[in-house]
Amino acid sequence: MAGIPVAWYREGAVPPSPRPPADATRGEPSPLVPVRVSPSPSPSRQRRASRTPSRAVRVRRTVPLAALVGATALPAGAQTLDDGLMIPARQLRLGVTWQDERWDRYWEGTRRRENGNIGTLTTRAVVPTLGYGVTGRLGVFAALPHVRTSASAGVLQGMRGWQDVTVGAKLGLLDRRVARRATLGAAVLASAAAPASDYTPDLLPMSVGLGARRAGVRGTLHLQDRTGLFAEAAAGHTWRSTVRLDRQAYYTDGRLVLADEVAMPDVADAMLAVGYQGHGLCLPVMLVAQRTRGGGDIRRQDMPFPSNRMDFTRVHARAMYVLPRLPAIQLELGAARTLAGRNVGQSTLLSAGLTTAFGL
Amino acid sequence: MHVVRPRPRHRSPLLAPLVGAALAVAASACDRTVQPTEALPPLQATALDADAGRWGMLVLSAPDQIAVPAPAPVTSDAYRAELAAVRAAQAAITPAQRANVEYWSGGGVLRWNQVMRELVARYNLPPAPRPDGSYPVPDAENPFADPSFPFANPPYAARAYSYVSVAQYEALKAAWHWKFRHGRPAPAGVDAGVRALAPVGDLPAYPSEDAVLAGVTAEMLKLLFPASVEDITRRAAAQREAAILSGRATASDAAAGLALGRAVAALVIARARADGMGGAAGTPALWQGLAAATAARGEIAWESQEAPARPPMLPNFGAVQPWTMTAAQLAALDPPPPPSTGSPRMREELATVRRTVRNLTRDQLAIALRWNDGAGTYTPPGHWNDIAAEHVRDARLSEVRAARVFAMLNMAMHDAAVACWRVKYAHFNPRPAQLDRSIRTMIGLPNFPAYPSGHSTFSAAAATVLGHFFPAESTAFARLADEAGLSRLYGGIHYPVDIEQGKAHGERIGAHVVRAARGPGAF
Repeated sequence: MAGIPVAWYREGAVPPSPRPPADATRGEPSPLVPVRVSPSPSPSRQRRASRTPSRAVRVRRTVPLAALVGATALPAGAQTLDDGLMIPARQLRLGVTWQDERWDRYWEGTRRRENGNIGTLTTRAVVPTLGYGVTGRLGVFAALPHVRTSASAGVLQGMRGWQDVTVGAKLGLLDRRVARRATLGAAVLASAAAPASDYTPDLLPMSVGLGARRAGVRGTLHLQDRTGLFAEAAAGHTWRSTVRLDRQAYYTDGRLVLADEVAMPDVADAMLAVGYQGHGLCLPVMLVAQRTRGGGDIRRQDMPFPSNRMDFTRVHARAMYVLPRLPAIQLELGAARTLAGRNVGQSTLLSAGLTTAFGL
Repeated sequence: MHVVRPRPRHRSPLLAPLVGAALAVAASACDRTVQPTEALPPLQATALDADAGRWGMLVLSAPDQIAVPAPAPVTSDAYRAELAAVRAAQAAITPAQRANVEYWSGGGVLRWNQVMRELVARYNLPPAPRPDGSYPVPDAENPFADPSFPFANPPYAARAYSYVSVAQYEALKAAWHWKFRHGRPAPAGVDAGVRALAPVGDLPAYPSEDAVLAGVTAEMLKLLFPASVEDITRRAAAQREAAILSGRATASDAAAGLALGRAVAALVIARARADGMGGAAGTPALWQGLAAATAARGEIAWESQEAPARPPMLPNFGAVQPWTMTAAQLAALDPPPPPSTGSPRMREELATVRRTVRNLTRDQLAIALRWNDGAGTYTPPGHWNDIAAEHVRDARLSEVRAARVFAMLNMAMHDAAVACWRVKYAHFNPRPAQLDRSIRTMIGLPNFPAYPSGHSTFSAAAATVLGHFFPAESTAFARLADEAGLSRLYGGIHYPVDIEQGKAHGERIGAHVVRAARGPGAF
């Protein structure tokens, strides 16, 4: 799908997101902060890089592997787990995305507020990604964000660390001409994610993630007109494991639970996108919604909690560009803004990414 | 006990994800529900404690201060009608009623202790600031407003736990007195047609201990957590219903118990209304006077690090009446003053905090989080009730003896709170993050002066009292108390000296409570 950001609160399908939000403070008697988090974007999804087969083929061809390796870093791309496009067979894509997501207001339940003990919460993520086209119809993906949080006010320490590794496989189900001027593609994706380090989810919004292992499924439809215009729709569902805390009791959703484990509600998400693709460019604009299927609200002047009902609707625009002289390399810029939410930050996200493709 | 489970080993960032991801699907299919700890199996007390009616009283003048009239004889028609009603109720029992009987069979003192911890966690949230930067004050006369009443912070919670526990203890001692005076057996023991759906022992049934607990506890909790009146009332009614459905009590056993419990609560509430809590929040003039007096001594005065700045938490709580000693006796146990804020010793203390938080390990962070017990939790006194509950359960104490353990524990923590708060506001010592703005805390910074550490004082007092009741575990309790204290250094919110002196202070208070519990007229 579209590239969605990964914020910590975003559990949706596949994309690994980079960071969960942190929670804020949890403290003592004092109140502090509640915080929540906003969404961050997920990294990469550069998905479109490969959108049209023809381009993809071209890309693959040009890639001198050695050169890339020497070049380093790179990355590339993204494929997105979520979109309806497939990576060409035997093509490897490596990518990295940088994200900067900030909010200075958040929703405490449904009440939007500021918090002088947080100021602006910034979540920065670096997200290495990997994609490989096993066949023209089957691709596999992986991503692992490294996340860093900080607050501009208050006394709370920010946190940093590897968040959750996500792996997924996407199967193309359909690739059909429609009305002789468009192509309709469909894909299904299955993914799994697990924390890649021993971070605590119990310090939101400072925590780098929510700590749950996850399994998700997603379906995507992609309609591409020969003029370059396209439309896409996707929907996904994510199941989450319990999360373990370092304490023996917690209060959420109206009751005290005498346990160190937290049950995490399922998460549903959906995306609609329109855009243009051509001349080496891909310009999607997406509307993304996440709805958590349960969980409690942040109480008045309380801190966020991993199993909170984290919902949001956000708009996300991306621009991807394949360098004419180095078609194995794709650059991407992205921006997103949360329009509405519940128990998440009203965040603004900026991202930049680089993806490289090589044929194997 | 509250188990301090070792944290899982940190896995390598590379391997774990791969293995973890592979397992994620399976895991998410099966690892989705939570097993609560502190399950309470049906209580089969190991002893009757038939002499509990002669144990020393704390608030009541004598166990028979509240009279419980003799019941109708078991041969009377009235009593036979009550037995028939129990049989009929059991014959028509629903699955929900059966679950309720099972729930309360775990022991009323333990169940209500869990409920009380939940209420504290529910109300342990500070008021949110107004747009103009001021803070509203919770209003006991309008508890449902924003902010709700109370703000069940650690001192409020320590006092609340102690009042409920003491009231239960007093009421149960009185109940034991009348039970053995009147000697009416439980219905399941008199009538073969009445089944024992929960353990029914040899304890006389009149007045019903379950109904005594329901009556006394509901009255105390309604005073302390008035916005939860509906929740509290329903639970109390459910406990009384369970007493009858289980075959442990008839309607008159329950009615006598309810009346006794409520009457005892009224006496304890009269004490609570006059113990000084009403003035604990102080006034703006008092807050400013504390800062001015500190500056006049040449010391740096504590300042709120919250934005907007929040008035200090309950600066006059130190004037609240203690349980086990006079204010003068309590003052005699005070620690020495903290190092001067300008002294080399204080610079060393500050350097230790800075170094600790900058090099914090994951295990140290886990300790800071385990003992955080901050806003939205049941507080440190609740944490020690949590620890005590599993020991009380495993020891299978009678209701009255279980109440005794919680009363002693919570009186000690209340007295520790009073003593600690008085010392905190006598010195008005700044937190590390105030003296060194580069120090960032791992957990929320408490909005009151640093010296001495409340966690350390509460924990040392609690561990001393629990060690008296469960001597085989006294070393383990002391270790937990030490960990609780250290957690505040790891969190970046206390100097080592706060923790050392708080611990020593708490131990002195705990030892006093233990001596009082042993001495003549022991309670």
